[in-house]
Amino acid sequence: MAVYKRGYRRYDGPLTGRWARFLVLPRYAWRRLYQQRLVLLLTMLAFVWPLLCAGFIYLTNHAELLQGLDRDFRQFIQVNGQFFSIFMYVQAGFAVFLAALAGPGLIAPDLANNALPLYFSRPLTRWSYALARLTVLMGMLSVVTWVPGLVLFALQVGLAGGAWFRANWTIGVGMVAGFLVWLLILSLVAMASSAYVKWRVVAAAISLAFFFILSGVGEMIDQVLRVTWGHIIDPAWAVNQVWCALLGVTPPEGPGAAASAWALAAMIVLLALVIERKLRPVEVVS
Amino acid sequence: MTAVIFNEVSKFYGEVLGVNRVTLNVPPGITSLVGPNGSGKTTLMNLMTGLIHPDHGTISMRGISPRDPEALMRITGYATQYDTAPRWATGFTFITTGLLLFGYGRAEAEEKAWKALERLSLTDAANRKVAAYSKGMRQRVRLAQAIAHDPEILVLDEPLNGLDPLVRAETIALFRTWAGEGKHVIISSHVLQEVDLISDQVVLIANGMIVAEGTIRTVREEIQEHPSQYLIRCRDASDVASRLFSEDHVSEIRLNDDRMGLLVMTRDREQFARALGRIALDGHRIDGVVPADENVDALYEYLIGGE
Repeated sequence: MAVYKRGYRRYDGPLTGRWARFLVLPRYAWRRLYQQRLVLLLTMLAFVWPLLCAGFIYLTNHAELLQGLDRDFRQFIQVNGQFFSIFMYVQAGFAVFLAALAGPGLIAPDLANNALPLYFSRPLTRWSYALARLTVLMGMLSVVTWVPGLVLFALQVGLAGGAWFRANWTIGVGMVAGFLVWLLILSLVAMASSAYVKWRVVAAAISLAFFFILSGVGEMIDQVLRVTWGHIIDPAWAVNQVWCALLGVTPPEGPGAAASAWALAAMIVLLALVIERKLRPVEVVS
Repeated sequence: MTAVIFNEVSKFYGEVLGVNRVTLNVPPGITSLVGPNGSGKTTLMNLMTGLIHPDHGTISMRGISPRDPEALMRITGYATQYDTAPRWATGFTFITTGLLLFGYGRAEAEEKAWKALERLSLTDAANRKVAAYSKGMRQRVRLAQAIAHDPEILVLDEPLNGLDPLVRAETIALFRTWAGEGKHVIISSHVLQEVDLISDQVVLIANGMIVAEGTIRTVREEIQEHPSQYLIRCRDASDVASRLFSEDHVSEIRLNDDRMGLLVMTRDREQFARALGRIALDGHRIDGVVPADENVDALYEYLIGGE
């Protein structure tokens, strides 16, 4: 092998970190996602509610502007766990539609074009590919959920002072944690439907239907069996229970936060298994 | 460890056979995997690149296990048969992104991307979107991404499909260059004439099993049941034919229409060579002797075509 020894040298220069390499994929994906008008429009719409909430925070912290209002009403409009839970409901709704809009375009085209072997013939594992796709969605949804939530929290701290922060810091932590759980569920649902259905529109419909159908089934179980635990299979309901616990808000009747957290954990595991099953470089149809 | 080694490798997709008890030792150079559709060529390639793992047996790619993608993919370039380049990306972006996934810094990745595009004559089209590429250009960009990180082992699934004759010749020349550098160039192809021209060795596969492996000549020599065929060019073809007919090992002779040549089928190559020598010494002028079935086409027909 004299020729080989003379003619070829392996690359021995510096390499980027092994765990940071997967970030190459989101970088391109984000750029492409925001080139879609509908995604951009929905993202912009999702900022309307945080802006209104910011105005509300400003008002509640400027007593002089509320002079003319009823005393009881002034006590009612407070920035507390309830306020942030309402903020989260609205933003969570936007996140559902954004995930359904953007998620299916992430994996379905790669499967349809047999592009997975291309990715996996790099030093990239299936899990790092999945993590890259998850990062795309989580990153995009973060922009309309916990990031503006944290900005609102910071605004409230800035206006209300350190005492408010010391008394309510758990709200900030709870909000971020609660949003992250919801984003994880949304992203996994979008990825799973994208991995199973190669048509983007159908995948989007399935990822939306997932939430509505489970919500309906949960309601049916409750009504037919005259129980209150049926809702636990509804991810939106379950995550709401967890949020209530995190934000210190009175939860709706039904299984508690711990049971709901377990239900969500089971859902996450199932969705991860679904994705794991489909994300294979070689598909054999027998 | 510079060989690609398969040791008793089997792969089943559920109840579907991929490959069965494959044992191979592929030296550097151009190796062609030849076999009908569904014979297991792509499965072998996927096993080599670690995209799938064997149910049984072991694989070593120049001493590296395909279960270690971090190490394996540093030395392996794979071009699948699928047209997978994203249509929104430019050729340059496509190659650069792949290199960034390898862990190269941006400057290094861009430099390597340009080199790869240049080797495949795609420099002018580098900044055009892949969607605007012709089929041949998309094939070339696929090859470019496989070679961009300068791998030691190239696994190329149908790499010559869709290329025009000029680019095809250039690509074959590239394969030769890489093989000359001591790299493994493992290709699959349906175009047997091309395989014949470019391969240092062939692996014939059918129904998931290796039918033959080695240089075309050694494989041909081992096929005893089919007589070897030789084309002889000579002035007095009828006389030569009558002399050869008296030999026991000659089973058939066909005279050319122009009476200037004949096709001889012999069961013993050595005896045939000796007989031909005697004929030449007796004053018959032999202008040329060429083996007529020492090619992949014939091997394919003998070993696979009859199934």
